[in-house]
Amino acid sequence: MMKKIDRRNFLKGGLAGTAALAVTGKATSGKAASFEGYPDSMGVLVDLTKCVGCRTCEAACNKEQGLPEPAKPFNDTSVFDETGHGGMPRQPTEKAYTVVNRYDTESGGPVYRKIQCNHCNEPGCLTSCFVNAYTKTPEGAVIYDPKVCVGCRTCMIACPFHIPAYSYSSTINPIIKKCIFCYDTRLKFGRPPACVEACPQEVMVFGKRADLLRLARQRIKENPNKYIDHIYGEKEMGGTSWLYLSGVPFEEVGFNTTLGNEPVISYVKEFLGIVPMVLTIWPALFTGFHLLATRKEEAEAGKKDNNKGEGGRS
Amino acid sequence: MGGSRKKLLALGLALLMGGALPGLLKAAPDTIVMDKLGDLYGPVTFDHNFHMMITGSCATCHHHTLGEAPEDERCLRCHTGGSPAETVACKDCHPQDRFSSAYLEKLEQDPYLYHTDRPGLLGALHQQCLGCHQQFGVAYGCTDCHERTEKGDAFYRSGDYAPQGGSDDKH
Amino acid sequence: MNRMLEKGFRPIDTLHKPDGTPWSFKEKMMLGLSPQEYWAAQLRNPFNWILAAIFAVGTPIIVGRFIFGLGWATHGSYDYPWGLLLGWGLFVMVPLSASGFMMGTTVELFGRKDFKPIERLGLLNGLLGYFFAVVFLQVDLGQPWRLIYPMFVSLGPAAVLFLVAWHVATYLSVQIAELIPAVSEWMGWPKAKRFIKQIVIGLTVAGIILSTLHQGALGALFTYAPGKVHPLWYSSAFQWFHFLCSAIFAGLSMLIVVSTLTKWFMRWRCDETFLKSLDRLTVGIAKGAALALVTYLVIKFIGVAHDNDWKYLFSGWGQWFMFEIALGVIVPLVLFTSAVRNNNATTARWAALFAVLGIALNRLNTSLVTFNWNLYQEIPHWREFVITITVYATYILVYRAVLARLPILFTWKDKS
Repeated sequence: MMKKIDRRNFLKGGLAGTAALAVTGKATSGKAASFEGYPDSMGVLVDLTKCVGCRTCEAACNKEQGLPEPAKPFNDTSVFDETGHGGMPRQPTEKAYTVVNRYDTESGGPVYRKIQCNHCNEPGCLTSCFVNAYTKTPEGAVIYDPKVCVGCRTCMIACPFHIPAYSYSSTINPIIKKCIFCYDTRLKFGRPPACVEACPQEVMVFGKRADLLRLARQRIKENPNKYIDHIYGEKEMGGTSWLYLSGVPFEEVGFNTTLGNEPVISYVKEFLGIVPMVLTIWPALFTGFHLLATRKEEAEAGKKDNNKGEGGRS
Repeated sequence: MGGSRKKLLALGLALLMGGALPGLLKAAPDTIVMDKLGDLYGPVTFDHNFHMMITGSCATCHHHTLGEAPEDERCLRCHTGGSPAETVACKDCHPQDRFSSAYLEKLEQDPYLYHTDRPGLLGALHQQCLGCHQQFGVAYGCTDCHERTEKGDAFYRSGDYAPQGGSDDKH
Repeated sequence: MNRMLEKGFRPIDTLHKPDGTPWSFKEKMMLGLSPQEYWAAQLRNPFNWILAAIFAVGTPIIVGRFIFGLGWATHGSYDYPWGLLLGWGLFVMVPLSASGFMMGTTVELFGRKDFKPIERLGLLNGLLGYFFAVVFLQVDLGQPWRLIYPMFVSLGPAAVLFLVAWHVATYLSVQIAELIPAVSEWMGWPKAKRFIKQIVIGLTVAGIILSTLHQGALGALFTYAPGKVHPLWYSSAFQWFHFLCSAIFAGLSMLIVVSTLTKWFMRWRCDETFLKSLDRLTVGIAKGAALALVTYLVIKFIGVAHDNDWKYLFSGWGQWFMFEIALGVIVPLVLFTSAVRNNNATTARWAALFAVLGIALNRLNTSLVTFNWNLYQEIPHWREFVITITVYATYILVYRAVLARLPILFTWKDKS
């Protein structure tokens, strides 16, 4: 069912070849397979209708990832009234890989939403990293190697969800910081991330992404009045490992509903496609221009005629 | 929260005097101590008797397992009443290890299993209790039902473990 | 220094003094003046006092950035990971430095030897612009000591920035090679110049390839952020071409601006050939810039049409877009065309100034002003402004120092 060729690797191969000026016909063939995620990758289904804003997931994340002490206790709900830089609602930081926000919606009552890395199928961060620090593991996590991070912060530009944080406070070793799906300590061993396990309301369900999609559809079908008929993350930006169900329109609880379904790589591939062409065609083209432009000159030089020719510049 | 608890009690007593309790519930325990779900909070002594009185129907919490017709229309499609299930304790159906690979595998291996979206025990209890408690506006804070332990304070960086200020996190 | 010319000062333009003894390296560095004369001349120049003031304020701030980290020097924003340091230092500096490959192509490849007097200025403008873009990058990178990682340690070849890194690095080497003849004349190493002469076509073609790709790649970097960059400044299909095409007239216009400044403030260093041909060359360059501008104008609107972004033109952002197009494209286009028609170099110089400002506005609009247009506006930290001004002042200082010494604005007298 799944395509064996992953478009990213495909392009990578093509570019690696051209960067070394060893271009073959293969690199210029345009069509690439679409990658819909690893077949057995795990995911999390978040049901916003169940969240009560207790912030236990934040505490669990802090403990599991050994993060620094928070500014306020994790049972302090006054953080919901805080805004960050630029008047933005709270967002994950270098000290907190997940945060819960409260949204006062039009359709009544507050709705709480947990924010963390959505672990895209075709992550923008990974696509944009020029030291290849990011990896999408077959288990579904988007992890990164902090030892090679140069600090260009392009991944922060490329993330449509504004997730990667940067440890600006560090001088010696500033790096990207974000949720890694508890890959090292849990996901690798088939266990759910700490936030999922700690949640008293079971807001989140951990399982295979494919199963979760079926589950989400079933919930929508069984409770048509309770849920908006949409699974956020099923298709957004090429699909994400974390999926969301909501009882209120997604844009009311801070989701960007204008992202579209194409992964970031789709927007960049038009440029990547011209690279091999420029590398192969330009040398011949411009050497040709040179020969044409200086032909007259050389002929004149041959005739020992010193009058400069006017032609040449096209 | 004492006031609201009294209100509930009064409501329960009123129901009791109406004599609406089915006889078969006499075998049910009066209280249940829930202490198996972690160490961040102390045990909860659940007043089963009291909740029986105020709900008036076992199906409110126990779905179809006591032989009563379930309240949810969706359940009625299959469970139209009949004989009680062999076991009726929450933990008999709602697994404590909801997301363990063993349980997830079990879900996957059984193609005939219908209830694949069954919450784990922790989720089931909280959703069941908080659902009503929030609806009626009674005792829905974490510590209204169970005391946070010292370990819980450390986990939430609360109480004696609260941050001592000084954090200038600008984000 | 211009006044010293009237007093009989003759800047060095040969390897030997009038009496036949060779100039020492130190004497060449001192422009043939005695140390006292040299420093006295420096102190007389009011511009040096301005530079000194900038360095007095800026140096501690730059040192502070490396002691206290980026969080001290910038807002440390997660929504605006690229601030003024890259917005100005990379995205504005690089297109304004496209003159190197343009002049190399014109003179060496298309055989327009009549542009020779300004070729080296074009090459130097390119080299220094790129070099200081890397300096800006080094200030902005979290771990500048890992700059070579994408080259040798951990390669991410599918990333656009990988292309930028490799191409800027290679192109820097190409530009250094292209300027070796100037250094070899000044130092008296004729062999180096002869060697470069043999490979100059190869270097020039490499320059075109690398420039096409990395100028385009700087634009393509923003295709990673669909939805974050305002649609009027974003085009998945044409972003690279917008950046490449605008870099052509940006580089040419910057060359006109710099040549005008040297004509005024460094007349003492220019030789007759340069000064006499400059008006003619300026109009010649104006012709190229006008062609690039009109192409750019067309593809800008093709970009708008391709994504059907017309509705945005009537919003506030649309007004700002039209302002940028008017100031930075239409005004210089009209002025350049008029300059070419009437053979008027002064008009071309005004046009160039508008084009340079316009391209700076375009790059800042793309990277900062309209970035996250649906979130909030970010005004960079004041320390970021100070650092940017200080590094740019260093750029001007180095630029001036090289122009004063190497045979860029004048022809070296010794025949090699």
